[in-house]
Amino acid sequence: MANLSGKQLAGLLVALLVAGLFVRGPLPEILVPAEAIASVAGFTLTNTILATWVTMLALLLAFRAATSDMQLIPQGLQNLLETAVDGLHGFVASVAGERYAHHFFPMVATIFLFVITNAWLSLLPGFGTIGLIHHADHGGVTLTQAGPLALIVSGAQKVEPNAHLPEGTPVGVLVPLLRGANTDLNTTLALALIAMTFVELWGIRANGFFGYGSKFVNLGRVFRGEIAFGLIDVFVGILEAISEIARVVSFTFRLFGNMFAGEVLLAVIVFLIPWALVLVFYGLELFVGFVQALVFAGLTLVFATMAVAGHGEGHESGAEHH
Amino acid sequence: MEALGINIPGLVAQIVNFLLLFFLLSRFAFKPILNMLDQRAQRIKESLEAADRVRQEAAQSQVNIQSQLDAARREGQAIIEQAARAAEQLREEVREAARREAEAIVARAKADFDLEREKAIEELRRQFADITILAAEKVINESLDRARHQRLISEVLEQSRLN
Repeated sequence: MANLSGKQLAGLLVALLVAGLFVRGPLPEILVPAEAIASVAGFTLTNTILATWVTMLALLLAFRAATSDMQLIPQGLQNLLETAVDGLHGFVASVAGERYAHHFFPMVATIFLFVITNAWLSLLPGFGTIGLIHHADHGGVTLTQAGPLALIVSGAQKVEPNAHLPEGTPVGVLVPLLRGANTDLNTTLALALIAMTFVELWGIRANGFFGYGSKFVNLGRVFRGEIAFGLIDVFVGILEAISEIARVVSFTFRLFGNMFAGEVLLAVIVFLIPWALVLVFYGLELFVGFVQALVFAGLTLVFATMAVAGHGEGHESGAEHH
Repeated sequence: MEALGINIPGLVAQIVNFLLLFFLLSRFAFKPILNMLDQRAQRIKESLEAADRVRQEAAQSQVNIQSQLDAARREGQAIIEQAARAAEQLREEVREAARREAEAIVARAKADFDLEREKAIEELRRQFADITILAAEKVINESLDRARHQRLISEVLEQSRLN
């Protein structure tokens, strides 16, 4: 590649795109749960956990490279990541105010970076396409043997579990080594639980345990004898508690739903239309990944800001329905 | 739950993963970067303030230089005026001295002249008296002594001068 001239490179790209007009991907296998790669001492290592480690490694290496030799006049990666951190910090400060910005920032920024890195890395070649072939009895697709590798090419046939095939036809299921971590409910639930736990902790820290708790259990007016309003307070408290749980659920399924849908969309589109046209959808998924990262981080930030502001002012509106 | 793939080990694994990432990023990524951003903001602020200060100092020294120039110009002007005045005074003095000297010369010359004239008149008078005596001697042939004659003539002359 290095000794190709720009013109040759452009010609190669055009040739690839033209070829891409005639090549399509194989029919994908779509599974909601993450697939197991290996089992170590009772713990099942899934491809999403593997992808999570890739994400962590990518983030940590990038930040290490950027911060190992920091210059007052930034360059390259340091400049890029400083811009990102500064932008996130400005975002946090603009929503939560300077007073709480430094409390919220690390968690909000980590959520944003984790989600967006998960999403964007899963668009790289290799995610979802390289993996182990499970030679299953219960069907799969026909494989093309190429030396030590088994390929699923665009002409691969779907094989029903009890289909009769000519002897020696290899059949199997691809278990990708890497699958976008956001497409695993365990990941999104973990994120949602951590985010809401931090929100509650910040609320308790800002308002005191009882101060914050009175948001959920408010018996003050019942004890003072104002039974009617007191009961309304109690009811509102119950609603608050339910909404807190609903936030966890909506956090979990919003991210999972968007990301899993994106994955399925790409897989299906690759099968349906020539891959040169699929690029458009990759662009779309880049955007979706950014938006979902922003939504998750932003909502965490908003919930945190409402929690520290004390109850009584600002009940969450439709902000969480995206 | 099982159909959705949610399971406790997977959940715990992802929680641990994320918290680990959170800890590492906050400790080793966000903190140094935010510090650096703060430091840079501080530096920029200081630089701007320093630039302001330098600009003010430059303006101040401009004013100082201008005022010094003005002072120097005024001083020069004063010196020139003083010199002109001194020259004028000197010329005045010289002229005065010359005038006085000239007057003195004239006065002395006049005194000399008066003296000379006095002497000449005296001389003339004496000669005239002598001539007159001589004439009278010749006329009256020594009838009177010379001293008496002299006195008579002097009286006459004195009377004529008084007149």
